[in-house]
Amino acid sequence: MVCGYGATDEILHAAEIAVEAGELIAIIGPNGAGKSTLLKAIAGMLCLKRGTIQFDGRAIERTSARERAKMGIAFVPQEANVFPRMTVSENLEMGGYLEPRETRRKMAALTERFPLLGEKRRAQARTLSGGQRQVLAMAMALMVAPRLLLLDEPSAGLAPRAADELFATIGAIHREGTAIVMVEQNALAALAIAERGIALVDGRTVRNEPARAMAEDPEMRRLFLGG
Amino acid sequence: MIATFLQALVNGALAGAVLALPAVGFNTVYAVLRFPNFAVASLATIGAYAGWVVNADLGWPAPASLLAAFVVAGSVGAFADALCLKPLRPLGALVAAIGSVALDLVLQNAARFAFGNNPRGYDLTIFRNWRLGPIGIGPQEVEDAVLAVIAMAAVFLMLRTTRIGKTMRAVADNATLAESKGIDPARVAWAANFVGLGLTGIGGMLVALDTSLDPLTGFRVLLSIFAAAVVGGLGSIPGAVAGAFVVGIGEEMSTLLIAPTYRTAMGFLAILIVLSFRPGGLIGERAI
Repeated sequence: MVCGYGATDEILHAAEIAVEAGELIAIIGPNGAGKSTLLKAIAGMLCLKRGTIQFDGRAIERTSARERAKMGIAFVPQEANVFPRMTVSENLEMGGYLEPRETRRKMAALTERFPLLGEKRRAQARTLSGGQRQVLAMAMALMVAPRLLLLDEPSAGLAPRAADELFATIGAIHREGTAIVMVEQNALAALAIAERGIALVDGRTVRNEPARAMAEDPEMRRLFLGG
Repeated sequence: MIATFLQALVNGALAGAVLALPAVGFNTVYAVLRFPNFAVASLATIGAYAGWVVNADLGWPAPASLLAAFVVAGSVGAFADALCLKPLRPLGALVAAIGSVALDLVLQNAARFAFGNNPRGYDLTIFRNWRLGPIGIGPQEVEDAVLAVIAMAAVFLMLRTTRIGKTMRAVADNATLAESKGIDPARVAWAANFVGLGLTGIGGMLVALDTSLDPLTGFRVLLSIFAAAVVGGLGSIPGAVAGAFVVGIGEEMSTLLIAPTYRTAMGFLAILIVLSFRPGGLIGERAI
């Protein structure tokens, strides 16, 4: 994939990623490597300049974000990932927009899984803390039973304990059969629950290997994982 | 002196309630589509004519006329937007706003072509003013204000309880996220235009009931509508209501100090003060 934000600007030069059904992949790399850009390109928020994106063997790089959502690709951005002036339950309802008949059942299941969302269901999303907002954003994506879940820095700004809980939840969602691609600053924690790791440097895929091998590789530890 | 003051306050509040309708319509469109649609002026006029046709030509009562004002202004507005302004929106809010001024002139002259320049009157009984001590209150103005409040309450409920209303709020809050959740922006744009510009049509008819109906009925209140929207906060529905009362009461109060000819200058003054000290408006932006 080759992709960028303006006509001349190019963030992704030669990014490559393949996701098997039900797989959990962690994308790691330095700041500015194009990790978030890669997720946005897959979700349809950015147009590719060159290259291709296939989903179930079908080329989707020319389809809109909305059509990709209908195919089962759910994206949770790092920021602006909830509707701030709507209540928690309205946010969940909008998360399940494509499957309105399932809304009631899904909402009951998700408030059971994340009791916090049940307690705060009448609160406006902007009154939630950073961690609560991340949980809501993820729950919104789960309202439609996605086949591919794209998570952009889900643990950013969270206290260590909240981040641990979040990673446990991501692991649980994955075990239920959802394919997940996750971009994380906290690379070790991400690789610990992932099956495969992809290292992105300067818009290029430089490594693609089992997560455990990547986490134990001395060179990777020195470069990205803080020793 | 106190009686004059109270009289101006009451008149201003009643005028503010009517002004709130097109201001809420203007801000609904702004919140969802992110540009000021100045064609609200001629759509207010078109709504007023639609109500007039139903009332004076067909002889139907006021509620039916208001419904006609809503449906006709909403449909014409949504259709004209899809045809003329939608292609301009990708070029930026300023281009779309200038396009809406052009659209306004076209619609205004279409109304002139259809109905002529002569003022028209509605077929409604005129009642004697009620007296509350030294203060006189017109039953017509009170009825207009009550109808305006009912129309606004209906829109407020629609935004809070219906699926399309919630999707409109979602797009106003975060359009990119809304699209990634599968919400169709074109459908939401239609709904926002129909509801927002339909409300403007009702507002136009209520203004015409109070003043007169001619091709410039809406244009004469355009500055007040825009001032109410800016004073309350562009894109905010509670803001539009608050702004309409501030502008309505301010315009009426100004007549105590300066010649009534200059009352519309109050709109400019309100915009100037708010933009200088609280650029986001009294309530803040985008809170539908």
